[in-house]
Amino acid sequence: MDSCLGVEQDLDKATSKFTALNEHTNKILEEVINQVEELRKEISQQPPNTPLSQSQTKVVNDLASSVKQSVFQLSTDHRELHATVSRVGKSIDRHFIADYAAVAPKAESFCSDTNRPIMEQAIAQHLYRQDLEDVGDSLVGEARVGVSERGSTFAQLQRCAAALALADPAPALAWAAARAHDLAHSPLLFTLHRMQMMKLAREEGISAAIAYARAHLAPHVARHERALRACMGVLVWCTRAAPPAPPPPDYAHLLDLRALGAEAGEQFLREACSLLRLAPHSPLAGAVLAGARVLPALHDIRAKMSHPHVLAAWADDELPLEVELGEEGGGYHSVFACPILRQQASDHNPPMRLLCGHVISRDALNKLAAGLKLKCPYCPMEQSPSEARQIYFS
Amino acid sequence: MNEIKSLEHATLKVPYEVFNKRYRNAQRVLDVEARQVTSSVSDIDAATKKGATTGEIDSLLGGMVEKLTTMKRKASEAITEEVQAACVCKKRLEHLKEQAEALTEPTAPQAKTQMNAWRGVRLDRMLVDYFLRNGYYDSATKLADKRDLRDLTNVDIYAAAAEVETELSARRTARCLQWCADNRSKLRKLNSTMEFKIRIQEFIELVREDRRLEAVRYAKKHFSTYEDGQLDDIQHCMGMLAFPKDTEVEPYRSLLGGWRWGALVAQFRWEHARLLHPARLPALPVALQLGLAALNTPQCYSETTQVSACPACQPPLNALARLLPHAHCSHSRLVCRISRLPLNEHNQPMVLPNGQVYGEKALKDMMKEHGSIICPKTKEVFCMKRVEKVYVM
Repeated sequence: MDSCLGVEQDLDKATSKFTALNEHTNKILEEVINQVEELRKEISQQPPNTPLSQSQTKVVNDLASSVKQSVFQLSTDHRELHATVSRVGKSIDRHFIADYAAVAPKAESFCSDTNRPIMEQAIAQHLYRQDLEDVGDSLVGEARVGVSERGSTFAQLQRCAAALALADPAPALAWAAARAHDLAHSPLLFTLHRMQMMKLAREEGISAAIAYARAHLAPHVARHERALRACMGVLVWCTRAAPPAPPPPDYAHLLDLRALGAEAGEQFLREACSLLRLAPHSPLAGAVLAGARVLPALHDIRAKMSHPHVLAAWADDELPLEVELGEEGGGYHSVFACPILRQQASDHNPPMRLLCGHVISRDALNKLAAGLKLKCPYCPMEQSPSEARQIYFS
Repeated sequence: MNEIKSLEHATLKVPYEVFNKRYRNAQRVLDVEARQVTSSVSDIDAATKKGATTGEIDSLLGGMVEKLTTMKRKASEAITEEVQAACVCKKRLEHLKEQAEALTEPTAPQAKTQMNAWRGVRLDRMLVDYFLRNGYYDSATKLADKRDLRDLTNVDIYAAAAEVETELSARRTARCLQWCADNRSKLRKLNSTMEFKIRIQEFIELVREDRRLEAVRYAKKHFSTYEDGQLDDIQHCMGMLAFPKDTEVEPYRSLLGGWRWGALVAQFRWEHARLLHPARLPALPVALQLGLAALNTPQCYSETTQVSACPACQPPLNALARLLPHAHCSHSRLVCRISRLPLNEHNQPMVLPNGQVYGEKALKDMMKEHGSIICPKTKEVFCMKRVEKVYVM
């Protein structure tokens, strides 16, 4: 946010200066033109062949030099704005990181002749899944990549979600109604019916909305009583005339069909994908999301440490740090890191469950074992190393 | 540090470069027009010294008014263009601020939806940028129009480049030379060989058409001001004059090859991007590479442990992830393979007698449904009593 505000300040200054300069230039030139025209009128009142009198020559010369001066002044005024312009550029450079690729030395290889088609295939796959068939087709043509999964289930789901975002729940409702049995435990049907009800309330009036709610929302009372109450309460504000008073925030949310639709669209994609056991993101979107998450952290440590040893860490075969990818990305696989050795487990060094239930890696177990005895590092229990059992997280 | 700061430099810098270019253009317009007006001023001065008649002065003043009016029109046009370019910067800034605002109040009910929508737009912007920088202009325009992203992407800025490329592919050089002339000072700073390469190609075309005398004249005109390192190429060119156009002798045969036009297109695309973009790579491959590296685990490469939701596991990206380092991990991060929920104090990891670990919740659900536990991996059947807790520190 700070970086945006910093640039915005300089940019606003530049914009206002240029707008002012535009007006100023127009005004000055207008004045100059008027002056010249007046003088011309004065002179043309005399017969065309009379020579200029002394005083007239002086007036003409004075005007000519003042015109020259003001015209040059205008060009100088504009030139003086150079600092303002370049300040915007410097401000962008200062507040944003120009060389974002410096922390991703292997990104270059993605653009090589062997890897580029793979990446572009992933892009085409993403486009088809986003229901952007014509963009995908034109990319396939321009980049000459192999076609993958045209017209998939994803595209259908995306179409439903896109309609929802435009406040039209009909396609999504049709999709969900056909799978009502599987969706019994999901709030999706309620959300969609509520959406349809609010749409009716706004477009056809309250009575239509109430009739719809009786028919479709009644089965959901048990699970969504509070939300249902809010739905009914908000009808008070659905008047054709101006509402009596602005609605409270909870209701305002229900009255904004677009926002409601965007939220429902998101829920629809999530629920439908989990029902079909599909990933809600395309691989490309998921990876880019994670990448954008990692980048700031990498820039941070790069800024803090510029020692050659640290720089060498990038060449290693692990990312130089651990980044929490949060709930919407990452965590697809279990990773067990031995709490003693702080190392990831592998086939050669698998996780072992001690008799007491604590898990350490086999290397750690061998190091801790003293002959036939082993004391668990986390609890007082003593046991024999042979009693530990290998376990599998994946 | 945040995602905007580390990823969006080019989003603002490219329209800024346009703004800067328009500024210089406007300065030139003002200077030229001012000079025009001054020339009419000195005409008047000369006339008054000679002792002109009122009629002459009248027409001279008329000429001055005309020039002033032109200046007014052109200045106003040029400055308006500058303001427009600044407005494009502003629009993008507003878009970036939207994300920052959603971040400041993450608890608001719609913040998450907003955030996800913003990220969707970011991916679309990255894609358009990637398409433009690789010359997929058609796809870029289609995507930008479909998602209404013209202001937030550089489609319009690249439209001129697309035209130059089509012209070059059709073996016409005029537009490209015009572009070189427009950006001469910047290209020289970057040590660009674009113009020289085009000149060589024009020379080659003259030879191909057997207009050799003309070619020599052309060489006199354009090659005499050569720079360091260009002499070899010039010598090759001149050597060509001695050979027939279907010669098998190298390097003259390859000089006459049609592939050189394709290389010119590629070079132009590269130089054009170099003028606009501070970073050499588009954001898409960078984000993709880091994302794959962060998601990459050893389990992504064995069929039994792949997960459909994991981007690094699925083709085609799987092939790219294979080349990358694994995600660093010094703290265990466990997920239940049945429910895909994280394993923690609310969903204890449990081990079956065969050593397989799953989440407590999933196993309880399975008990409810089937009355026993079937290991999804080995299909062995167990009862709940034999399932034990696992403590992972």
